[in-house]
Amino acid sequence: MTPILEVTTTIEASPQEVFPYLVQPDLLVRWLGTWVDVDPEPGGAFAVDMGETQVRGSYLAVDPPHRVVFTWGIPGDEELPAGSSTVEIVLRPEGDATVVELTHRDLPVGQQAGHREGWTSKLGEMASLLQE
Amino acid sequence: MTAEAPDLVLRALADPTRRTMLRLVSSQELAAGQIATHFPMTQQAVSLHIQVLHRAGLVSERREGTRRLYLLRPDALRPVRDLLDDLWPDALDRLKRIVEEDKRSRS
Repeated sequence: MTPILEVTTTIEASPQEVFPYLVQPDLLVRWLGTWVDVDPEPGGAFAVDMGETQVRGSYLAVDPPHRVVFTWGIPGDEELPAGSSTVEIVLRPEGDATVVELTHRDLPVGQQAGHREGWTSKLGEMASLLQE
Repeated sequence: MTAEAPDLVLRALADPTRRTMLRLVSSQELAAGQIATHFPMTQQAVSLHIQVLHRAGLVSERREGTRRLYLLRPDALRPVRDLLDDLWPDALDRLKRIVEEDKRSRS
């Protein structure tokens, strides 16, 4: 469960005002991708095209107005959407603003490093590369 | 780095067979024939998978006589990291701008 990327930003709006932009297709399409089809409830579909990159997954958690977790994978793969790569977005109120914390975890190779034999120092190097 | 590099890496990683192949060559250099013994498929099919990994830059290829030897490249996932490094900060910048613009236009 290695975070490979953490990004934070502060938005001048309340978490209640920001949250719909994480779950409503008409709002998601304005910042996240060129095409969006989502069903924002646990187990519901998360499908976004980001330019050339087609992202497919499902929502794992939808806790308005504080937190959204969805899996993040690419089409044609049966294992990836099952929780191998996940994105968690947490909204934290700070005064009149909201701190948005996004964490992307567990690319498939990194995930398997934890419980499969055969990953050796090379993968340790990969993991450290991803955590730079 | 080419624009399609992250896409190639993600597609290469999206297949369970190819991920198993990566594990096999993570600690030792193996010939295509040695890799093929681990999979219930033809050597031609195995070779196609190996070429996908090679084109994505995930494995190195070295000729030794008539054999070709493959090894995981330690910097293989760099394109994916670069993709995410570009993607998420840009996306959150857009989110911030749009939410704040919408809020101003409502008030």
